Order: sequence, then structure tokens, then C-alpha cells
Amino acid sequence: MTVLLTIQQLSVKLQDKVVLSELDLTLDEGEILGLVGASGCGKTTLLNAIAGFNKPSEGKITIDGLLLNDGKNCLPAEKRQVGMIFQDYALFPHLTVKENIAFGIAKLNKAEQVAQINHLLTILKLNDLGDSYIHQLSGGQQQRVAIARALAPKPKLLLLDEPFSNIDARLRNELMVEIRLLLKQFKMTAIFVTHNKDEVFTFADKMAVMAQGKLLQLDAPSVICQQPNSYQVADFLQLGSWLPCQMKATNAESLLGKLVLKAEDVELGNYAYLLVKPSQIILNDNQNENNVANAQVEYISVTEQGYHYYLNSIVSSNSPSTLAFNKLSLYSDTALSLKQQVSLSIKPHDFLLFAKND
Amino acid sequence: MIALNNSKTWKLSSYLIALVLMVPVLVMLVGGVNASTQLFSHLWQTVLPSYLENTLLLAFWVVLLALIFGVFSAAIITQTNIVFKKQLRWLLLLPLAMPAYLVAYLYTDLFDYAGPVQRSLRAWFDWQSPSDYWFFDIRTLPGAALMLALVLFPYIYMLTRGAFEQQDQNLTRASRLLGLTAKQSFFKVALPLARPAIAVAASLVLMETLADFATVQYFSVNTLTTAIYDTWLGYGDLGAANALASVLMLLVLFVVLAEQKSRAGLRHQSARPNLNRELIQLSFGQQVIASIFCWALVIFGFLLPLTLLIVMAIEYSDVAQLSVLMSTGVNSLKISVVAATVAVLIALSLGLYQRLHSDKYRQLPQQISGFGYAVPGTVLAMAMLSTLGPLDHWLNGVVEALGFTAPGLILSGSLFAIILALVVRFSAIANGTIVSGIKQIPQSLDYAPASLGVNLKGSLTKVHLPILTPAIFVAWLLVFVEAMKELPAVLLLRPFNFETLSSQIYQLISDEMLEQGALGAILIVLFGLLPIVLLNKSKEKV
Repeated sequence: MTVLLTIQQLSVKLQDKVVLSELDLTLDEGEILGLVGASGCGKTTLLNAIAGFNKPSEGKITIDGLLLNDGKNCLPAEKRQVGMIFQDYALFPHLTVKENIAFGIAKLNKAEQVAQINHLLTILKLNDLGDSYIHQLSGGQQQRVAIARALAPKPKLLLLDEPFSNIDARLRNELMVEIRLLLKQFKMTAIFVTHNKDEVFTFADKMAVMAQGKLLQLDAPSVICQQPNSYQVADFLQLGSWLPCQMKATNAESLLGKLVLKAEDVELGNYAYLLVKPSQIILNDNQNENNVANAQVEYISVTEQGYHYYLNSIVSSNSPSTLAFNKLSLYSDTALSLKQQVSLSIKPHDFLLFAKND
Repeated sequence: MIALNNSKTWKLSSYLIALVLMVPVLVMLVGGVNASTQLFSHLWQTVLPSYLENTLLLAFWVVLLALIFGVFSAAIITQTNIVFKKQLRWLLLLPLAMPAYLVAYLYTDLFDYAGPVQRSLRAWFDWQSPSDYWFFDIRTLPGAALMLALVLFPYIYMLTRGAFEQQDQNLTRASRLLGLTAKQSFFKVALPLARPAIAVAASLVLMETLADFATVQYFSVNTLTTAIYDTWLGYGDLGAANALASVLMLLVLFVVLAEQKSRAGLRHQSARPNLNRELIQLSFGQQVIASIFCWALVIFGFLLPLTLLIVMAIEYSDVAQLSVLMSTGVNSLKISVVAATVAVLIALSLGLYQRLHSDKYRQLPQQISGFGYAVPGTVLAMAMLSTLGPLDHWLNGVVEALGFTAPGLILSGSLFAIILALVVRFSAIANGTIVSGIKQIPQSLDYAPASLGVNLKGSLTKVHLPILTPAIFVAWLLVFVEAMKELPAVLLLRPFNFETLSSQIYQLISDEMLEQGALGAILIVLFGLLPIVLLNKSKEKV
């Protein structure tokens, strides 16, 4: 595939505060990238820098060979061939749906404009709403108009700033699938910003996790899910619970038993954290005398996958308090009661251990 | 915040506009400060203390009366089940359309010794001379205060009513659940929460009072504004007039600063407007008292003066009056249309500059351009004379030096001075309306055109200006009406033989001949009603 977007060493300062720092990123033509990160991590700033609404202090942005920024020169937003769908859609309230869609294609002749508008109205199922004003449309319809308007000038790259945040939770998934199909139909390269990892899993081909102005990991969502590269990535995406471990020469000790380590894990230092997914925890039979209780039920909720428990460790006098764990997440069909003491162990698997200050 | 534009021409012109609007007042202040200490000490030893005392006393009484009228009427309308509430709600705004000097003249005419009220009383009770009975003298300082309060209280009524209606209804509900009655809840929760709005409104009333010229002049109450007028027109002493104007300016500045300080941090806004609150049920007696109170304000503040004007117009109007009305009306229209258009263009330019330019201090030109509203018309007129007069002399000198005939007073002696004064004074009104219109445009609409390949010019003409059309219209209308009503600046700055509706009516009032200009006075009142209708409509939408 051809690379469409290249970002090299991009830094952005806003009011003397570094918001993006030496960021590198590439995106292939036709790919959809989901940008996730906590509020204030710089995702919207990155979007604005690509769109031309922020002037980067350093770095280069290139789209399809066209240099948008080189640290000194900055191509105006209107010349970048970058479309954007804003969080609040930014539809022009004084124009009809058709006029909104026509806004960016005024340079085409009338016949071409009409053809383009009708094509988009049909594809986006807005045929009957062409003459309506924006306030007459539902949230979902407004979003479709925003997409039609952004696609009309045929941008090379489409940016979507939290496009689903204003949509009712029940409709959101349906819309995401619909819009993804649409973007694929147009072979559109897109970057979308969200703070909801589930949206990325549904919508994106690639996922980028950001924190404090830096890109932590960029890969396919499934890869990041299976192999997060840092404590921060796994913690932000809530990929599991954390079990503190004391590192020894060939194994690690935890309150849920000994874990046999791979060679590279040994280098993590004295203490590390094991990422534990609910499916990797075994609830032992409490009738068996050999199974010593090591956790206590702190919270119970009922879900479609059975009972969901949060468990805290029971720290005995001969176990160090540094190994105590909190809120270990476990799904089970077995009914337990609040404060009930249970015995847990970890299924053998490829352990993912991280130092906390990664 | 992300900025879109860094045009140097736009930046330069914005600061230049702000400078032009501010320089006259600065020149006047410098002139006032530099006025000889001898002159100032002479003023201080003779008239200044009594002028100051009168000004402060008048301000105190007007604000007190306007607070009583405004806060009580707002409370009655929003908190009780008074009958004819729907009608009173907007009727109480109408006195704002009535210039105070008109009310002053009409009530003097009505209640004077020779007026119909005292004549009827004398006839009924067979009194022969003033020594036979006591009757209040309206042409006094308290009389002037009452006249001003009667037409200025709607500022307090309007803002306090808005504050009551915008209060979070859950606060009232919480106080009721904690055991307060509706009445107690009003005094312990609603009224304290409305304090910032009341403070703003009271400072507006105070500024209008300090700026008033015609009412106090007619009642012969010597305040700083009348002193400035007399010192300049009577004695031709620009230095002394500047010194007095500077004192008045400092007084106004003090009010503005005190008001801002008093409500710093006091903001009570609500997402749950209090529209369906439980009303205080008035007993029959309370209904009567509340109704008399509210209707008296409407009648004495608006309906009675208007009726008197209409009666005068019917009795005394003739063709000659109509032709004078036409010519003065056209003059008023001319300066008001130009002033409103210029003020709106400036407000648009500076408002959009503030929104779209990358300048770190982009809000500064807009802020500077708005301060003129606090400057009384009389002070502003002095400022124009102090600045444009010397500028004219300099221009004439330059032209003569170049071998041409001196053009005369092309700036200070022409409509330019009046229009500039009106623009300086009312730019704040246009700014307020346009900036609030701009603020309602979501930030994303600034960026959307660029993301669709449209440049700033296209964005302004296709997006911002069309969306701002209603705000532009309202701003234009508000400035237009204020300019139609403005008196002191016009009186002091008009070229010879140039009369506007307001200056002509003032002249007729001074000559005790308002009957001759009743039609013009009605016209001013009708123009004054336009922004009230607009204001009321926009408040109804809330």
C-alpha cells in the first residue's frame, strides 16, 4: 500500500506549553486510524495540526507528497485537501442540507455540483432532506450531512473529531459500522479521535495510543490488545487488572503463586506488575484444604457473562504488603458473597509484566 | 485557542480605530489635568463643591428611587400572582423610551403653580394665593431625581427580572424543602442571588444620571454637566470646562470600577431557568397595593406623559410645525444612520478581529472602543472640541502654508464631530450586541470553511456575516435610536443652524414652548420604543 500521510518529529506548543512532542506517524492510503488517549493528551491538537488550525513549532507533515508543514512554512488550511468532521458537526445553520454540501465545491460548475450533491444525498440516505435546515434534522441525520459535506470536495484525508460522542449509545454501534463501510467504499484515508477504546475496535484499522503529547503505541487494535507495549497503554485501555510481583532470578512471586518468567522479564527490576485478564484467573475450589484463601470479594455485579467480582488481597503476616493487589477483576458463574474469602491462582500463559514507570 | 489569521493590515487598522475612538477623551483629560491650578482652585473656592454636592445628591436619590421602583416591580412580576401580569411584564419597560427632560417638562407643566392641577385645587378649595396651601415644588433636586428615576428604573426592573427568572429553580426548591415559605425563600435566596444583576443595573442608572444634562438644566439644578455646558458656552472657557469634564469623567470611572469590583466573582447562572416556580399568592389587599404600585409606574413613567404629548400635538400641530419637523427629522436621521452604520462596521471589524486574529492582545481594540459608553455626552463633546479644534487650526495652517485658502473648521465645526462623538459614545452598544452574536457562533464554524477549501474572506462573507445578520440589525437599530435621542453632545457640537429633533425639542422646552414640537417629541418616544420591543422579544425567547 502507498503511504499517504507522513508525520515526522512533530512538536506543537500552545501558549508556551508543549502539547505535542517529537511525534512520528505514517498512515497508508485507505486506512482508518483511531487516536485514543486521556483528555488533554494532545489528540485534538494533532488533528488540528494536520488540518492547519495549529502551527507546529517543529516537524514535517506530508500528505501524498504535498508538504503541509516544515516547521517554518505552513500551508493554509483551505489548501491542504484535508476534510474534517467536527465534534459538534459545525454545520452552517443558515444553509440547507444541499447548500451545506455544496459549500466546499463552489469551484465546480453548476451541473457538476448538482451531480455531486445528489450522489452524496443518495449514498447517505438524505434524499428527502436536501431542502431542510439543520435544526430540522435528528442527531444521526446531522452527522450524515456533516459526512456528505466533508466528502464533497473529495479530500485526500478525512479527520473526525470525536464523531460519535453526540450519538445515543444504542445507535452508536450501528452508525459506526455504517460509516466505516462508507469510508471504505470511498477508499477514504481517515483519522478519528476518541477517548473510547471500544469505538476504535469497531471503527479503525489501526490504533494509536497517546499520552502527554507522545505516541505510545501504533498498531492494529488486535495487536495492541494482545501485546500492549507499556504499563500506560495497558492501563489506559483497561486491558486487565494488575498483580504486583517480586522479581527473582527465574521466577516472580505474587500473592497468587509463583510465575515462571521469560529471560527478558527478569530485567524489569525488583518489582513489576503482571497484566491479568479475567480469563487468566482461576477460582479454586474452596472445599480443598490445600487452597489457602488469598483474596476477598469487595464488589459484586451481575453481567451477561455471569457474576463480575472485584477482589482485594488478604495480606498475611509473612507476605510483604508491597505485593497486595486491589480490584482484581474476575468473571464467574459461581455465586460468592461480599467479603467472602476465596482462593485464586493464575493460569499459565505468556505473562505480560511491566514496570510501573514505563 | 487556535487562531486563523495574522493579517498585519487588519491588526494595524484595528488598533488605529481603537486609538481614534480613545484619543479625544485622553486629550481632554490631559487638558483638564494641565488646566492652571489657579483656575482649578478658583473653581474649587467658588462653584465646584456645590456642583459636586448636587451631582452626588442627585445620583444618590435617583439610584435609591430607581432601586425601589425596579426591584419591587421585578419581584412582583416574577414572584407573585398579580393580575394583568402578562401585560405589566412588558408595560413596565416602556418608561425607558421616554426622555427624562420630556417628563420633567410635562410634569412641571402639570404640577406648577399655573398648571391645571394647582389651578383645579385652587378653584375647588377657593384658595387665593400660594400662602393659602402647601404644594410640592417639582423644580427641585428631589423633583429632578424623581423624574430621572421614573424613566431609568426599567434598567433595574429588566435586569433584576431577568436575574430572578434565570435563577436555578432547584435552589428555590431546596430552600422550600428546608422549611422556608415562598416569601422567606425570596428574601433569603432569590434576592441575594440577584445582587450582581441589581448592582450592574444600579451602576447603569448611576451613569445615566451623571450623564444627564437636560433635566437638571431645566430644573436649574447645577450639576457637573450643566456646569461644563455653561462654562464652555457661557464663558467660552475651554480649560475650565475640560477640568470640570475631567472631574465628571473620574467620577464615572470610579462608578465603573466600583461596580466591577463589587460583583467580582459573583456569577450565578443556571441551566434550569426558574420559569415554573411556585408563586406567592397575594391577598386581595396585597393585590390592590401591588397593582397600584406597578400601574402607577407605567402611568406616570409612560402613559400619562405620552397622552399629554398627544393632546398637545392634536391641539397645537400645524403645517408649519410639520415642515420644521421634516427638516429636523431628516437631520436626526442623517447623523443617526451614519453613526449607527459606522459603529456597526467598527464593532464587526473589531469583534471579528477579536475572534479570528492571532494577535495575543486581540481583545484590546474591542475593549478600548467600548469604553466611550461610560463617557457622558457633555464630557465627550468637550473631548471632541479639545481634540478637533486644535487639529482644525493645524490643518488650516498647513493648507495656508501650501498657498491655498484655509478650509475653516472642517472637523470641529461640521457633522464630523457629532458623528464621531456618537460613534465613540455608542460603539459599546454595537460591540455588545455583535460580540454576543459572534460568541453564539460555535468555534468549529470558524474552521469548517477552511476544511472545505474556503479561505477567510469566503468564510466571512458566506458564514460569519450571514449568521450575524440578526445581530447586525439589532446593533444598528440600538445605536440608531440612541443617536436619535442623544442631546448634550449634539447641542455642544452642532454646526450653526443645524437642529436635530432632540436639540429642537430641548430648545422649545427651554423656551417653555414644547407644544410647538409635540409631534417631534412623540416621534422620539416612538423611536425609543423600538429597542424595547426588540429587548422584550429577545427576553421572551429565553
